Amino acid sequence: MASNRIEELKKRRQREIKKKKSQVPVGVTFLIFALIIYAIFLATDFKSSMFWIIGLLFGIVLQRARFCFAASFRDPILVGNTSILKAVIIGLIIMTIGFGIIQFISIGDSQDFDIENIPGYISKVGMHTVIGAILFGTGMVIAGGCVSGTLIRIGEGFILQIVVLVGLIIGSLISAKYIQFWDKCIISKTHVVYIPRYIGFSKAIIGQSILLLLIYFLADLYHKRNNIMK
Amino acid sequence: MAEVKLDCMYETCPIPLLKAHKKLQTMKVGDILIMETNHTCSITNVIEWAKKQGYDADYIEIREGEWEIYIEKVK
Repeated sequence: MASNRIEELKKRRQREIKKKKSQVPVGVTFLIFALIIYAIFLATDFKSSMFWIIGLLFGIVLQRARFCFAASFRDPILVGNTSILKAVIIGLIIMTIGFGIIQFISIGDSQDFDIENIPGYISKVGMHTVIGAILFGTGMVIAGGCVSGTLIRIGEGFILQIVVLVGLIIGSLISAKYIQFWDKCIISKTHVVYIPRYIGFSKAIIGQSILLLLIYFLADLYHKRNNIMK
Repeated sequence: MAEVKLDCMYETCPIPLLKAHKKLQTMKVGDILIMETNHTCSITNVIEWAKKQGYDADYIEIREGEWEIYIEKVK
């Protein structure tokens, strides 16, 4: 609840403000465009039509929730605020269980399987992960958003992020060009670490969920302790 | 009981918050900080931070895609 003086100020400013233009026609136009694209996908490529709908829903959720991955990792250090980090951790818990179920259905609770056959994006981990994470992390804090954050802010009309998008595309092209070099240098020497292979599916899923819950409570504690920005 | 204006237009997170923090330190108790921003994330970011500090805070949209955030330094 804001104080009386802020309420007064708000009322005073509200009188000075001109009436805003309605944004409904623009919204309807875009909705029709989205539906036309959906219809084209339905007629030509069913799989893409599903991706289109999932992508649109993702966009709506991210925009409405102000779900910013850059802020989730920046705010704990900068201002001691872990509310978005906690949301990311909850997302990871849901993902662990959800992907666990999908992968469990496809291979069952055995420790003898081929990693190639597992649904999902399981890749090698090593020094290249660390280097990439540092580069991407530094970049997203300077640019004011990760990939999804940049896209939702362009959608909102924040022009500055278009510059970020151009940088993002250039970066992706450069990395695609030199991926073989990195593969020869580092990536080919590393291994896939897939915990269910060592301890079985159910234990891996439960273990990872418990670990994430622990991190969640630590983040919560950190949030309460760091009440004042230093 | 002054009202202090702070221009945060075209600044991305976390610059508006850092600017507000610096400005609030120079202000007296009872002053109101008026921040102008066009970055939607700053609204949640700044207001959540201000409330956590124990300040009163609120915002209104003054033009399309431009907002004013009010923070009262209560202590």
